[in-house]
Amino acid sequence: MASSNIYVGLEIGTSKVCLVVGEVRSDGAIKILGVGQHPSAGVRKGEVVDSETVQTCLHDALSRAEERSDVEINTVFLAVTGSHVESLNNRGTIRVADDQMEISPEDLEEVKKIARDVPIPKENGYIHSIIQHYFVDGQEKVLNPLGMIGQKLEADYHIIHGTKTRIQNAIKCVREVPLEVEDIVFSPVAAAQVVLNREAKNEGALLLDIGGGTTDFICFVDGAVVASGCVAIGGDHITNDIALVLKIPLSRAEKLKVTHGSASLKNISHGEIAIEGENGKTVEQELLNQIMNARATELLTVISEPLRKQGVLDKLGKGIFLTGGSSLMKGIGEVTSDIFGVPVQESDAASMSGPSALFENPQYATPVGLIRYAQLLDEQRPKKGALSKLGQRFEKILGGKK
Amino acid sequence: MIEYDESARGELQLDSDLGVKVIGVGGAGANVLDRMALEGSDVAELLALNTDVRALKNSVSSEKIQLGSTLLKGMGTGGDPELGKQAALEAVDSIREAVRGAGMVFVCVGLGGGTGSGAAPEVCRIAKEEGVFLAVFATMPFSFEGQRRMDQAKLALSTIGQYANAVITFDNDRMGELIVPKDGVTQAFAAADKIISQSIRATMNVVFRPGIIHIGMDDLLAAIRTKDSRCLFGYGLSKGDNRSLEAVEQALKCPLLDRGKLLNEAQAVLVQVSGGDNMTLYEVQLVMEEVRKHVGENTQILFGTGTDKRLGSALSVTLISSIPGPGVEGAEIPASAAAASAPVSLSSAAPAGGAPSIRLSQAESAPPLPSAEADVPAPLRGRELSQQAEEGEDETLVFESLDDAPEVETVPEEEVPSYAPDSIPPALEDAEEATETVVSDERNPIARAIEDSQVADTGSIAPIQPADLGIEQLDEDEAPGAGHVEALTESSQKITLTRVVSGSGNTGRIKTRSPGDGGSNGPVMPPTKPPAMPAEELDDGEIPDEVKQQQELLQLEPVKAKGRFAKTDPTIVDGEDLDVPTFLRKKK
Repeated sequence: MASSNIYVGLEIGTSKVCLVVGEVRSDGAIKILGVGQHPSAGVRKGEVVDSETVQTCLHDALSRAEERSDVEINTVFLAVTGSHVESLNNRGTIRVADDQMEISPEDLEEVKKIARDVPIPKENGYIHSIIQHYFVDGQEKVLNPLGMIGQKLEADYHIIHGTKTRIQNAIKCVREVPLEVEDIVFSPVAAAQVVLNREAKNEGALLLDIGGGTTDFICFVDGAVVASGCVAIGGDHITNDIALVLKIPLSRAEKLKVTHGSASLKNISHGEIAIEGENGKTVEQELLNQIMNARATELLTVISEPLRKQGVLDKLGKGIFLTGGSSLMKGIGEVTSDIFGVPVQESDAASMSGPSALFENPQYATPVGLIRYAQLLDEQRPKKGALSKLGQRFEKILGGKK
Repeated sequence: MIEYDESARGELQLDSDLGVKVIGVGGAGANVLDRMALEGSDVAELLALNTDVRALKNSVSSEKIQLGSTLLKGMGTGGDPELGKQAALEAVDSIREAVRGAGMVFVCVGLGGGTGSGAAPEVCRIAKEEGVFLAVFATMPFSFEGQRRMDQAKLALSTIGQYANAVITFDNDRMGELIVPKDGVTQAFAAADKIISQSIRATMNVVFRPGIIHIGMDDLLAAIRTKDSRCLFGYGLSKGDNRSLEAVEQALKCPLLDRGKLLNEAQAVLVQVSGGDNMTLYEVQLVMEEVRKHVGENTQILFGTGTDKRLGSALSVTLISSIPGPGVEGAEIPASAAAASAPVSLSSAAPAGGAPSIRLSQAESAPPLPSAEADVPAPLRGRELSQQAEEGEDETLVFESLDDAPEVETVPEEEVPSYAPDSIPPALEDAEEATETVVSDERNPIARAIEDSQVADTGSIAPIQPADLGIEQLDEDEAPGAGHVEALTESSQKITLTRVVSGSGNTGRIKTRSPGDGGSNGPVMPPTKPPAMPAEELDDGEIPDEVKQQQELLQLEPVKAKGRFAKTDPTIVDGEDLDVPTFLRKKK
């Protein structure tokens, strides 16, 4: 046990509740021990709207995950998303005290505090403050200023914040199961841990996680997060559009989308598709594609425009990585590269052992990413001796019995 | 982070020859001065004027002048304004001496008593003669103080109005509402004094603090605009991470603003944001965005910002605005005063200078051309329609006038306000004609004035836009109060007001209205104006249907299919509801 840690990632998505149990070995490799998932209900646009229903789904997913992994799950890392999540970049500056030459850890804390001190709406709370770069006396892009000699220390932070109460609702829902939430992570931050490797992050990459209810994105340039966010439109919208335009039930619309639909208007095979169970009702392939294309184009434009203005689209050396369930939609890659003007990469899962076939599926990028996030978090924590770890464990056990 | 560079800007430039003097007249005025002194007034010299030597002795003001030392021998006036006036005349030289050389004089006075009502007009006259900029903060008496004091106060107010560049009235009755009823009397009055002293201070700060975007006297005048206005004033000061929003919130919470609700009615709002050196543009933006949420679409926002080192890490937000106050009705209620007020206010409008007088003249300049009878219904109907359309604003307007109604009713019959039915049948005929001319003529001047008009109407209802503009103008006319416009338009405005009431009553929108009101308003029209009335009644009859149609058109959010997202938070980007299928939206 001392050499490995078990983490659980939980994503309450619009289409599914998914728990992934992973073991992080001492060599850094992740082994997936088990997965529990359940189609979700009571979630709209990435946020919990019906706590009770969600808890039922969560229970189900939890028991499956415990069964398969043979691990008793107490704490989870929770992925959060929703249209309320916003991000911004801010720079903090401090002057290092004159009598002190080298930059100390306290200085880093101080500069972080200052960088984080941006006016965000009162009802919002910080989700992440991710360091982008340090500047020491104007020297650009210092990765680790600790111990460097300098007088002026600046730090660029990418700050992700969201409405406190809406995040708390998600946490509350999970706690009532009961599961303890160890940390919350903005979904694309987690997904990026799996989908984007170090090379991609350094050369510049945009991750688009097109899920059921939301589309999350995160953009890396020079190894640092420069933009992230969430648009509350996803695959569900496409299904809904099809259902509304063709006036058919949602379930049939979903099926139509998955089996026949394409977001691309190119190479349309002209012909009629019979809609199952609708007494010979047919729909033209062209019309179906037009409906899907209109939505996909709009969604991608909403995301691409701010990024274009920010000037990051030119810096994406590695292009765009698509993930999330809706990225399996036909033609979406083509539309994406057209709109962003950047090539789209085939995403491949990071090295992992276990029933990995399952995890090459982009649907699992976020929960698996949570485990990697937990692993990174663990690495950042100060290393402790085996004895103190043991003591801590005892403390936990004793504390838990209170 | 963008930061203002304070060093580039000089420190507060307060020319010594442009000193500010705050004069408190009478007991109430002295109390306000004491409050200001207590809070440490930095710029202004305080001068207390009183007849009662004991009260004067207790005052902490730096300068004091005893009024009527020989006439009253150090006693009070016993509530007689005539005595107050005589007392002031006795000390005229020392007052003149004190006022001379000041750039700006604020007079604060509690009207209704002897010294306040008697001496304050004299002080104002002297100040005017000395050519200073004069702003008067007058407190109207509680209604329980009796009709006599109220009359004295109103008479004094109308006289003060002749001399002052700006008059801001605080209604004690309203102050009473603002303060927790169970508060002690001392606390209650202290709170009232505090509100007044804060507004004086804010006014001074706004004008004298150095501004990156400077607010001048003209902006201030535009914001308080009228002489009989109820002053809306809010001030917030906050430190810490979220100081900008906290400061705005505090400012909006100020009792005079009624949590920002009253700002909706204001025509112009002055916003001043000050902070220390570290105030960021982003913070200013936050403030302005928050303020914008609270004001109407057409409200003119006068914005100023500046840095002030004394604020340190704090950020202050000052909101100043006005809506037509009790003075609008009040000024001409006494029959004698009504006659006097028209010529008087004309002369006073002239020297006022600055924005308000320009606006007033705009209203006045509509030439009273003879009108064709046929013109009347159309604009009227259009007007009432748009009245209905602009629901929010108008409801408040209507309630406003209704609220005022009881106050008016307490006035004895002889002093009935000009729009009460029985008292003015003779005048009414003229007035009716005036209405016609005003209403029908207004279309053209307005149409011409559209470009110049600050109230550029962005109303979404294209067909009724002309009428819409007409209403803006009418509203504006109502706002400055009849006291400032010549007699003809004055009475016509009254009628406009009553029509608004009856019009909205007919549609059944305002249920709180008692049938009695309808009765009293209805008869105003029919007997005096038989030819026009049937048409109007017809219009009124039609209105409910048309209003409904209009309202449906106004629903900006079309009822569109949203399917499973019908009950979720809408996802709105650039004003488009993205939950509606793109395909359906783009097809259009």
